[in-house]
Amino acid sequence: MDFVTVHSIFTVIIFVAFIGLVVWLFAFKRKPDFDQVANVIFADDKKPQQKQQQESDHE
Amino acid sequence: MSHTQSLNVDYNYTVVRLFALTTVLWGIVGMSVGVLIAAQLYWPALNFDTAWLTYSRLRPLHTNAVIFAFGTSALFATSYYVVQRTCQVRLYAEKLAMFTFIGWQAVIIAAAITLPMGISQSKEYAELEWPIDLLITVVWVSYAIVFFGTLIKRKTSHIYVANWFYGGFIITVAALHVVNSMVIPVSLTKSYSIYAGAVDAMVQWWYGHNAVGFLLTAGFLGMMYYFVPKQAGRPVYSYRLSVVHFWALIALYIWAGPHHLHYTALPDWTQSVGMVMSVILFVPSWGGMINGIMTLSGAWHKLKTDPILRFLIVSLSFYGMSTFEGPMMAIKSVNALSHYTDWTVGHVHSGALGWVAMVSIGALYHLIPAVFAQGRMYSTKLINTHFWLHTTGVVLYIVALWISGIMQGMMWRAVNTDGTLTYSFVQSLEASYPFYLMRFIGGCFVVAGMLVMAYNVIKTVRAKQGTLEPIAEAA
Repeated sequence: MDFVTVHSIFTVIIFVAFIGLVVWLFAFKRKPDFDQVANVIFADDKKPQQKQQQESDHE
Repeated sequence: MSHTQSLNVDYNYTVVRLFALTTVLWGIVGMSVGVLIAAQLYWPALNFDTAWLTYSRLRPLHTNAVIFAFGTSALFATSYYVVQRTCQVRLYAEKLAMFTFIGWQAVIIAAAITLPMGISQSKEYAELEWPIDLLITVVWVSYAIVFFGTLIKRKTSHIYVANWFYGGFIITVAALHVVNSMVIPVSLTKSYSIYAGAVDAMVQWWYGHNAVGFLLTAGFLGMMYYFVPKQAGRPVYSYRLSVVHFWALIALYIWAGPHHLHYTALPDWTQSVGMVMSVILFVPSWGGMINGIMTLSGAWHKLKTDPILRFLIVSLSFYGMSTFEGPMMAIKSVNALSHYTDWTVGHVHSGALGWVAMVSIGALYHLIPAVFAQGRMYSTKLINTHFWLHTTGVVLYIVALWISGIMQGMMWRAVNTDGTLTYSFVQSLEASYPFYLMRFIGGCFVVAGMLVMAYNVIKTVRAKQGTLEPIAEAA
């Protein structure tokens, strides 16, 4: 295989992978999981930040 | 320490503290050198006819000091801080982490000695000669081991998005540095690139633009995704958008380099690919900016009382401005006007002083009290002073160079009816002269702000532990 073929295949793989990523993120009902992940930065705070959970649905 | 109570993890803050303090120090040094060379453009006698004080030698010293001493120290400090806190574990290979601090400072000192001596590979942002390049490689590999080692032993199941950006930055900078620094040494202080001609230029700008894309953007976006939500006290606007942001940004940035070589010996198609990729980059850049700014939605009032948050949010506005301006300047016909003028320099500083410096300063004001076991910085008022000094300085600087740059571009391309040039080069220089004074004054404001920061930081660090109580939050 020459350079051009390899690069063409690579470009298609990257494109398909990116579309796959977007589908994975948005097509399934994953929002609660991601909200939980987004709150991980508050895990080490002194007082529990329950407020965060409610506010995070402002998407 | 109060802030680790709920998790009981004993984080390693020693190396974070050291990098945080050196960030402030190198910020002052690097920006002061910038002010000096800005002054030299207005008062050329300021090089005192001394070889090592000439503009040509101090300019790489300035860029290296602000990018690799100030900016990269800020990245070391915040990445070590963020990776520990989001993985909820202590740093991996702590002695190696300490080595990255000592090694990186050695690189900075070596740069500060060799560049004024005129020892240079003469590749922009990659001026340092091969022995220093080798040291950088060793330090960088150690950095990767510490960072990814910490990620591997994490206690959380998910790797928080900030770490993805930091990780992408660390891996890509390693690849860029190694490829672009390939040289054949002829002596300890002299080497020649293994690439020739247009290929050398392309490799250099593949490196150069990705230094912007991965060091000055991806790394600082990692900072943004931790410190903006943290300081605002609310999670990032859309975590899913942040994932798309990361993959889109790293997939596109790597192709943008050729826009530095429009209308050169580089093949036309390569220039066009570079242009198209640069224009598309606008989309993930603005996606990320909106994601950061919208984190504040419903809590905009916090901007009124919290100057740290103001630093962070205004940095995102400058990021948005620069990432709109950049793609526009990458379009060939716009580039024909803007290239080689002060407009480019203005664009870089709107990114460097507006985005990179402001997000770093905001992050440091958040981080320094935390790692020195204080509830807050010594003076919130002085943070506010710093904010206004810095903002005034940046605006003066970029407005001056916008006007000067566009004027230069217009004067250089103006032709008389018989096809001869309307203006000589020196006429355009004379026209730019007042704007160089304005730029110098803007730079003075920025350095003054950094000095205010240094005072505030020293006061915070030297205060008795726990004496600076956090300010009760207004409802």
